[in-house]
Formats: sequence, C-alpha cells, structure tokens
Amino acid sequence: MNKELTVKKKKKSESLLGMAFFGPALVLLTVFLFIPMILTLIFSFTDFFALNPEITHFVGLENYFQIFRDEDFRQAFGNTVRFVLIIVPLQGLGALGLALLINKVTYCKKYFKVAFFVPVVMSLAVVSTLWIQIFSPEGILNSILGNFGIAPQPFINSASQALPSIAIMSSWQGMGYQMIIFLGGLQAINPALYEAAEMDHASGWKKFKDITLPELKPLCIFVFITITIGAFRMLVQPMIMTGGGPSHSTYTMVYDIYETGTVNWEIGLASTMAIVFAFFVMILTVIQTVVTKERGNKHADKKKKDK
Amino acid sequence: MRRKLSAVIALMLSAACFLTGCQTSVPSPGDIEGYDDGEEYLSIWVHTIEDTDEGRCYKESVHKFNEAYNGKYFADIEFIPRNDSGGGYSDKINASVMSGGLPDVITVDGPNIAAYAVNNIIQPLAPLTESERSEYLESILDQGTYNGKLYALGAMESSVGLYYNKDILKSAGVTVPEADDPWTFTEFLEVLEKVKPVVEKKSGYALDMTFPVGEATIYYYAPFFWSNGGDMIDETGLVADGVFNSEKNKETVEYFRTLLDKGYMSAVPVDKLFESGRAAFKFDGAWEVNTIYTSYPDIDLGVAPYIVGDDWNGERYTPTGSWAFAATSKTENIEGATELVKWMSGAESGSLLCQKTKSLPSTYKAFEENDIFQTDENFKALYYQLSKYGHPRPKTPVYPQVSTSFQQTLENCVLSGLDIQSELNKSVERINAKLKRYTYDNE
Repeated sequence: MNKELTVKKKKKSESLLGMAFFGPALVLLTVFLFIPMILTLIFSFTDFFALNPEITHFVGLENYFQIFRDEDFRQAFGNTVRFVLIIVPLQGLGALGLALLINKVTYCKKYFKVAFFVPVVMSLAVVSTLWIQIFSPEGILNSILGNFGIAPQPFINSASQALPSIAIMSSWQGMGYQMIIFLGGLQAINPALYEAAEMDHASGWKKFKDITLPELKPLCIFVFITITIGAFRMLVQPMIMTGGGPSHSTYTMVYDIYETGTVNWEIGLASTMAIVFAFFVMILTVIQTVVTKERGNKHADKKKKDK
Repeated sequence: MRRKLSAVIALMLSAACFLTGCQTSVPSPGDIEGYDDGEEYLSIWVHTIEDTDEGRCYKESVHKFNEAYNGKYFADIEFIPRNDSGGGYSDKINASVMSGGLPDVITVDGPNIAAYAVNNIIQPLAPLTESERSEYLESILDQGTYNGKLYALGAMESSVGLYYNKDILKSAGVTVPEADDPWTFTEFLEVLEKVKPVVEKKSGYALDMTFPVGEATIYYYAPFFWSNGGDMIDETGLVADGVFNSEKNKETVEYFRTLLDKGYMSAVPVDKLFESGRAAFKFDGAWEVNTIYTSYPDIDLGVAPYIVGDDWNGERYTPTGSWAFAATSKTENIEGATELVKWMSGAESGSLLCQKTKSLPSTYKAFEENDIFQTDENFKALYYQLSKYGHPRPKTPVYPQVSTSFQQTLENCVLSGLDIQSELNKSVERINAKLKRYTYDNE
C-alpha cells in the first residue's frame, strides 16, 4: 500500500518537474507562435487597418472573396506554383545526382562535400546580391555566353526569364543540404546488395533502379516534401533581386502578404492571405504524403509476394 | 533536491519572461540626467540609430533644445532603427498605435503625412506665427499641410537632379539652358538625338534611366507628369479616377515610350552607366552629387534644370520630400511638442544636418549659412530648383498604393509595351479599392 503511494507520488512529482522545465519554452511558444496564429485567423475575418485599429469592422468571409478577385494575388499564386514546379525537381534530382557522384569519389571527398554545402550556409540576402552581379548584362554569365556567340540575356530584367533565373539560383544554393542527406542514405545501403547484383551481371542503371532508389525511398519522400514547403516560402530572393518584377513576374505569395500587411497597412487582408497560404501548403503536404505512402506500400506488398 | 531547485528556477524564468513584456514606464524628474523638477517631459522618437551621422545630429539638437529650454521642457530622445525598405521604425509606430505607447513627437516620411493625419496618428501643430512660417521653404510647408492644417515640419529637404556629363555634352555641342527656361519634352528629344552618336562610340546610352521597384520611380518621374498638366490624385487626396488616368498622363507615358523606342535609354538596367562615363544624362537624388565628387572624380558633373512638358506654364514641379517631425495624437502637451518640432526642424538643426550628412536643409537661413550652396554650382542649382519649383509628392492617405501603381504603370507600359490607357485604368481601380475605407462616410 505504501509502495503504491510512493510510486504515484514519484510519478506526480516527476511530471510536475517535467512541466516546470517545459514552462519557459511553452510560454515563448504561446506568446510568439500560438497566439499570433489565432490572432491571424481572427483578423482574417475583419478589415483591420494597422494605422487606425479603431475603425475595424467584422466582415466575415468578404476578405476571402476579395483576395481571389485580386489580380495581384492570383498572379502571386501562379508564380509561387511555377517556382515550386521548377525548384523541386531541379533541387531534388540535382542533390541526388551530386550525392551519387560524390559517393564514387575516393580522393578529396571532404573537399567536395564542403564545396557544395557552403552555398547553403551563406545568407540568402548575400547570395541574392552576388547573383545580381552574375546575372547583370555585363556580368560573368553573359560574358561566358558571349564566348559561345550568344547575345547577352536580360535574365532577371525580363518578365519571361526572371522567374526561371531565380529558381535555378535558389536550387543551386539549396542543393548542398539535400545532397548531404542523400549521401548519408547512400552510405547506409548494405554493400552486400550491390555485390549480389554484380554477380548477377546487373548493369549500372539496373543497380540504381532496383537497389539504390528503393533503399532511398523514405529519404526521397522527406526531401521532396521539405523542398516543396521551402520553395513555397520564396521571398528574399525576389525581394532583393527584382522587387517582385518585372511586371510582377517574380511576385510570390509571401511577398504579397508582406506588401499588403506592412506597406499598405492592411492587416486584415494580409491575414486572410496568410491563412489561405498555410491551408494550401498543408493540403499539398498531405497529398504528397498520401501519394508517396501508397506507392511505398505497394512496393512492400510486392516484396512480400516475391518472398 | 537539485532537480526541484532547477524546476523552481525554470518556473520563475517563465514568469519573468511573461512579465517583462508588460512593462510601461514614464520617467519622473531626477530619473534622467538633465530632467529637473518643474520641467515638462517630452518624448521624441527618431528613425535612425544613434551611431550614424544623422542620429548624432538629432542627439546634438535635442541636447541644445534642453539647454535652451532649461527649466521649461525636457526632451527625451529614443533611437529606433529602420531597415532599408523602411520597416522597423514604421513597425514600431504601428505597434504603438495599437498598444498606446506613442511618444509626444515622432518623425514621419513626407509622403506618409496624409495617411498618418487621416488616421489620427498625428495631430495638427499649435499655430505658428507668420514670421515663423516664412522661415521654411514653401515645399516644406506644403508637404506638412493636409486639409488646410499644418501637421509636420521637415528638418531636411531632398531633391532630384538631371545630372549631365559635361564632356559628352561639349563634344555633342549641346548647351544647358537656364533654370527658368528648361528643355521641354520636344527639345529634350532633340538634345538626346545630338548626344546619341557620342555615347554610342563608348557603347553607352544617352540617358541612364530605369524604373526600379520602390519609392524612387515616382520620386524621379512624377515631375514629368506634373509639368505636363497631369497629376496622380486630386487635391482632396481621395479621387483618382479622371486624374491618374487622364489624357495628359497618357501623353506623358507615351513620351517615356518614345525615349525607349528611339534607343536613348536601355531596356535593361546597366549598372553604373552614368558613373562610368557612358551616359550623358541621369536622374538621381541630391546625394548623387556627393557620390560623384568622392567616388567618381573623373566625371565632370553638371546639373541641368529638370525638363518640362511642352505646355508648361511655370508652375511648381520638381521632386521634394523627406522626413519631418510631427506631434502625435497622444501628446497632451501640444504647445511643448510644437516647440520641439520647430526646434528640430529649424535653421540651426537643419544646418547641422546639412554639414554632417550633406542633406539639403529646410529653412532659407540654413541655406544662406552654408557656403556650399553659394560656391558650388551644382548644389546652387539644386537649391534654386528646390526653392522655386519644389512640388510635394501626392498627398493622399493611400500614398503607398499610388506609388506602387505609378511604378508598375511605367514599367509595364514602357518596358513591357502594354496598353497605356488600360494600365492607367487598372491602377485607378487598385487605388480606388484602397480608398474605399476613407470614402465610406462621404457616401
């Protein structure tokens, strides 16, 4: 009887201790994350104007209809999707390719790993400023193209080339991170599998398709989802390099939220955009998870069958 | 026992985190050095950090104010950092509007005065005497007045100059006209045509002109519209339809297109085209004079009068506008606040700012005190342009939208070749959407 009480008491005091340690973090999270999230949701139903909070009215769903009618928001939405469509395959496949190549290297492996990872740790603003010079009509890229007889390209100064240019630059910067992840995954693959494939005279491509890819599947899913979410949040590069132009061709959703809320002082509309944005990304992530899991399960079933 | 102790500390820490955010304090006499009994406390916020030339000037001016008004007022200055795009400081103001911590005096960027006034963030200053008013440049008084009441006074002014490369113009045989008889649109086209062969030999362009995103575009190019009989918004600041998309404005946008079509400017911005001596003309802020003198001494710089529309009738049209001091709606001591505003924007303060940061002052006296406006011909030209022809940017509570629409219209119509009238109309729609909240009551 005594023993039971002491065990219960110990559990209670332990859980109290745990909560006490969690306390500061919980306070900070609540104040800086949970409360603002709830406030954003509330503001999205009002026409809150930062300069004059007193004339706020409750407008219900009017904001939601308004932003979809707004041409700028629709364009920002389209641009963001276009960014994602270019960055995800480019960065993902680029990282995978780099990882495969580096895995084969025997000398100076560390040097290559560091060299490709350095762009990741550079600040987004610094890289953007650097690439403004690289992309400029008299910059490095155009000089190289000139050697091949190609006329200087406007890159970030043209409405058609700006978005792909920034997307490619962004993929270049981020690749190193996923490359390190893939390298780790590659090294975890059992070499015995490859030896068995060698004995069966499997070609390089077959080895890749049937051993490497399936083993890397969970990593691929992770990389795919994280690159997508990251690409959706594209803001710094267009803001610094093109200011959202030319003609709003690099204007992204997060940029629109910033412009509406901070520059135009319209917190109500900006909150609405933020909610729609978060909702959209969440739905997309769920779809991605479901789609890739299904295929994963199918594959697991096949493996079982063969056995 | 040790774990229990750390748990208690953790709890106290979270309590401390919670409570520190909830502090507000108004100092009492004796708390701050110089704040004596009987003095009225005035708090002032400025938009720079202390560690810049501008910040140091403000600190100096406040110090002198406290000496001059010793026994009557005590001004307490707080430095709020502002990042490149203007955030930081305005965020703090917004936050204080919501939480009620506004000081007695704040600085406001010229174009924002209308918005702040309409939304009751700042209140009209206590009346100034005629002689006090006459100390300031016309453009300063114009910028700070909204709906007939004076809200703000600037410590500095700014302007944009039409800079030219003397060597290039000499080889092209072009002479610059007098300030009161500037080139008209048509005359300027002829000048550019003459200059073109000279700059083409240097693989450059006659005109170094770009339409960057941000405040610069409306700042540099609004005068083209003003001097050609157009405007962005009407005098009440609440009607854009018929003003922004007028026939005259359409003409002006077509003029910009001509500049591009005839090859006088580059479709793609080239870095430092003017500074490297490959362009004959460039529109840039007054600070450019200093930049050229210090970093590009090879360029022989001249300032030409800003060009005007063909039908110009001598009215004010050159760019102006900078930060100004205003009294907030929260101050209970409007007399004291007005005294502080007058001091911070006055001749002494403006002179100091001019010497340290090379910005243009806001009072006639400060201009006379600083030799550089008498001796250096470029600064002299800028001063003349500013005092005689200065025109404030559109005074409207939806200024940010007007500014973005202006830049987009120019960029879309000139660089992307879109239809001018429809772009102008689209801009009016955007501006009207933002104006809705101000015209609720008028309907």
